[in-house]
Amino acid sequence: MSASRPRSAADTWLRAQRAPVKRLLSRGLMLGAAQALAMCGAAWMVAHVLSSAIFRHAGLGSLWPYLVALLVLAGMRLVLTLAQRRLTFEAGAQVSANVRERAEHELARRGPLWAKRQSSGELITRVVDGVEALVPYYARYLPQVGFAGMVPAIILICVLPADPWSSLILFLTAPLIPLFMVLAGWAAQSASEQRWLRLKRLGARFMDALSGLTTLRLCRAAAREQAALEAAGEAYRRDTMAVLRVAFLSGLVLEFFATVSIAVVAVLIGFRLMWGDLDFQSGLFVLLLAPEFFLPLRSMGAQRHQRMDAAAAAEDLAKLLGEQAPTKASTTVLASSATPDRASVAVAFERVSFAYDEGVPVLDELQLEVAAGRCLTLVGASGCGKSTALALLMGFAAPVAGEIRINGKPLHEMDVDSWRQQVAWVPQRAHVFHGSLRDNLLLARADADEQSLTAAVQAAGLSTVIARLPRGLDTPLGEHGRGLSGGEVQRLALARAWLRDAPLLLLDEPTQHLDSATAAQIDDALHRLMRGRTVIRVAHRLHAIADTDIVAVMAHGRIIERGAAGVLRARGGAFADLLASDLAA
Amino acid sequence: MNRPMTDRELLLRLGALARRHWRWLAGGTALALLSTLSGIGLLAVSGHFIAAMALVGAGGAAINYYTPAALIRLFAILRTGGRYVERLVTHEATLRVLADLRSWLFARLVPLAPARLGALRSAELFSRLRGDVDALEHAYLALLVPMAVAAITTLVVLVVVALYLPSLALLLAVVLAVAGLALPRWALRRGRAQGQVQGEALETLRALAADGVHGRAELALYGAETAHAARLAQATARQQAAQRRLDRLQALGGAGVTTLAQCTLVGALVLGLPALARGAISGPELTMLVLLAQAVFEAVAPLPDAWSQLGATLASARRVFTLADTAPAMVDPAEPQSPGQDSHLRIERLGLRYDEQAPWVLDGLDLDLPAGRRVAILGRSGSGKSSLVNALTRLYPYQRGQISLGGVPLARCTGDAVRERFAVVDQQPYLFDASLRDNLCLARPDASDAEIEQAIEQAQLKPMIARLPRGLDSWVGENGARVSGGEARRIAIARALLADAPILILDEPTEGLDALTAASLYKALARAMEGRSVILITHRLGGLSTLVDQVLRLDEGRLTPVPMQATARQQRA
Repeated sequence: MSASRPRSAADTWLRAQRAPVKRLLSRGLMLGAAQALAMCGAAWMVAHVLSSAIFRHAGLGSLWPYLVALLVLAGMRLVLTLAQRRLTFEAGAQVSANVRERAEHELARRGPLWAKRQSSGELITRVVDGVEALVPYYARYLPQVGFAGMVPAIILICVLPADPWSSLILFLTAPLIPLFMVLAGWAAQSASEQRWLRLKRLGARFMDALSGLTTLRLCRAAAREQAALEAAGEAYRRDTMAVLRVAFLSGLVLEFFATVSIAVVAVLIGFRLMWGDLDFQSGLFVLLLAPEFFLPLRSMGAQRHQRMDAAAAAEDLAKLLGEQAPTKASTTVLASSATPDRASVAVAFERVSFAYDEGVPVLDELQLEVAAGRCLTLVGASGCGKSTALALLMGFAAPVAGEIRINGKPLHEMDVDSWRQQVAWVPQRAHVFHGSLRDNLLLARADADEQSLTAAVQAAGLSTVIARLPRGLDTPLGEHGRGLSGGEVQRLALARAWLRDAPLLLLDEPTQHLDSATAAQIDDALHRLMRGRTVIRVAHRLHAIADTDIVAVMAHGRIIERGAAGVLRARGGAFADLLASDLAA
Repeated sequence: MNRPMTDRELLLRLGALARRHWRWLAGGTALALLSTLSGIGLLAVSGHFIAAMALVGAGGAAINYYTPAALIRLFAILRTGGRYVERLVTHEATLRVLADLRSWLFARLVPLAPARLGALRSAELFSRLRGDVDALEHAYLALLVPMAVAAITTLVVLVVVALYLPSLALLLAVVLAVAGLALPRWALRRGRAQGQVQGEALETLRALAADGVHGRAELALYGAETAHAARLAQATARQQAAQRRLDRLQALGGAGVTTLAQCTLVGALVLGLPALARGAISGPELTMLVLLAQAVFEAVAPLPDAWSQLGATLASARRVFTLADTAPAMVDPAEPQSPGQDSHLRIERLGLRYDEQAPWVLDGLDLDLPAGRRVAILGRSGSGKSSLVNALTRLYPYQRGQISLGGVPLARCTGDAVRERFAVVDQQPYLFDASLRDNLCLARPDASDAEIEQAIEQAQLKPMIARLPRGLDSWVGENGARVSGGEARRIAIARALLADAPILILDEPTEGLDALTAASLYKALARAMEGRSVILITHRLGGLSTLVDQVLRLDEGRLTPVPMQATARQQRA
């Protein structure tokens, strides 16, 4: 066994988060110390009362002030404990609120492109439940670690004048405990961490089987999977028990020393009392405090799971908060932030390149111009960089090379927030936020009045949808916009774009996931919205493109062909190829 | 079950689930009891011993000090060893119960999918189920054992105390009842509302976090990120306010027990000192009683936590049992027949709706599909295409009409017997967190390497597998390699090919794929269809028309033929 265990990144991170709440924690520790002193005082009084009664035949009449004092001390200990819990809870609460805020900030900094590529369930668990697991660590576990060192020291100091021999026994066993705990504990800790991990994995496997239950049924594999789950559970039980037999040894060591030293203290005190070497009051005082000496250490063992939960969460959070962001969102606000002309927007991509994580370039010196008030249709196989081009235009990420110009001015020199106000966007799949339909619409323009809301709703063809909803615009939409079909969600996105009333309109295959009848209705509304604006439209249904539309064909992050759809169709180039395979599809 | 289950019923059902392992549970409890009583005994005997020895030292008669000294050693050993064995036994019991619980729940949920598990599709509810199952795992360790130990220990100590000083036993009984029952229950009742607030606040936080991930682009574009962060901070503050009150109650429960123990000690002195003066008890006995009255609280101390867990555990148990009690949408017939030999599928006047008030989704649908015939079914979203698949594969019941396979009505066959005839390629195929091989062999665990190889070839999966670091043994699914939508569908096609069923159902096989990817998929599909009946479901026919004999439109719950030019397949013929 190695002499020192390297601190994991999680531990380091957890320690670092302690800085802002150090004062709260140390005040909590001081209250704990005061509580321990009160406990020693109470033990002394009990010993005094009993020895006076037994050996000096004192009665209630003369001893009652001590009993009153004992009650007062009991009250004090209650108040001190409550105050300590309150302080340390605040420490935990502050750390978790702070970490959650930073996580949210980090999500904003990393931007939509990053968020889209994450496993969303994991990320949500991380920022909600993971952060929640930090509270007990700072509120309970860390203070307990402090008490485990401090309270025995206080007891030792109190016992020393009463009976040096007993305090010597306690003093000798005390360092043995951490030593043995360290020896048994290192093995036990990594073992129990492993156990904890495996338990999580077993749970994950169970949930995986439940998620795919329909598939299992269709493949008639449910019974087989159940047998596999049972076998996994059984194997887990056997492994775990083997681990626990070792892991609980640290508990055994602790219990052994705690118990044996009480027994030794009791027997030694007994014989010394018989020989007359010690007075009864001191002896009883020591015996009363002996169990308290080991109590904080035992409580610490019982709270170890809080550390493990926190460490597991910390590992994820440290990765999230510590990692270098792969792409920088261009949120830098320059002093000379230029605001583009409200009336019209001309867009130019000049040799723009972009890649995720230094991987294959998604955009490769992309060259693209759209004049103010014109419409350009972008086509190309999926993954050729169309959506990424739109994302860069919205400032979700900055180009690796080259620049985007708006009316001739570089985009990266503009204030990103005021630029985004010039953009309306209808994505492939719009997100419906938790809240009412109204909240979801107002997102696009917080200060919109009832009139413009109604206009947007009508323009997007949402009126009939709203008429169907029990509380109209104020109907809560529930999880993931339950109650809205795919087409209705796209109408919502359309209404948002309408409310936004921006000079640049970005359409990212807004009807791709819809059936043709619904798509046709939405296309109608879209055409009305496009009038008079600069539009970049990513298209999927190539046969629906009118002959006069200007089309740019993208492949591997570049424009390979550009012109009127009718002309390109006839020419038999890349567009004609795409069209042919689309028709065949 | 319409009526909500009472706490008693829930506890009884939890107990029933653990019944198979009652020996382990009882053994663990007995050992816990032994070590707790030894700890209390150790202190009490020690007190008695030192007081008696001090009296000897002060000039009293000599006493037999071997017995108490031996008792002290015995208690010390029982305490130490007992605790170790107890922890092993209770964990063994918990793990056994846990395995049973998961297995039981899984068996109960299988027949519910997918008809009755629709709500579980949302990630939030799903993670809650997971938390609930975890909470039930701890029910026995954190609830059953401490409560049983507290009850029996209290009883034993009360009897011992009553032998010496009945009035103290009475006082102790009252205080222990307050500390172990009244105080925690009071805290629990006070905490229930806060617990609910906290739970709701956590749900809100989860919802907001989900918005922050899925709706990040909208938040950024509409400049709503600051507002979103503020909402998140607000929800955190609300949740922490509730948590703070809960923590205070919990602290009060824990510290309250300690305070009551102190008060009991004073009470023991108030009652014991006159008894000592009267000569009713001796000095050593008084010392023992005082220590006993203190030490017994060790058994009661875990109760506040146990009680506070009880509420949460019962809530978890209620949700899990309610889900497990849901009546399956489909029940296999008592005396099943097997479907007819040939796979001639015939649907007559099929009617299906999701509940009695709902409109008919399928309403008088007819389809005749002799073995080897291929049809495409066209329909808008929501026109009932998926309902038709669910009815065919016996995952959802239909109310009117009949489906027969080889002349035998499906209703007379078991679901598994029917599903043996169908291979379904889902719109969004689920990939398990397992190796690619396991995912492929789901329907045919005994498939040979040659068969797997062939299916991979036919499904055009070769290039993808060549790209994976460990080939067929690469991990896919949640924690595995990222698989694109088109690849997942090709995996599902290979899975269906391996299943080797006579009827192939394809649900939106090319949705969301670009033209080039779709084209390569058609090749895979064309191979997959050879020698099989096919039902191809889509909202957009495109090139799929070349693969089928007939195109039907699903509208208003009925199928109508679509007049079309001769399909490519017919042309070839």
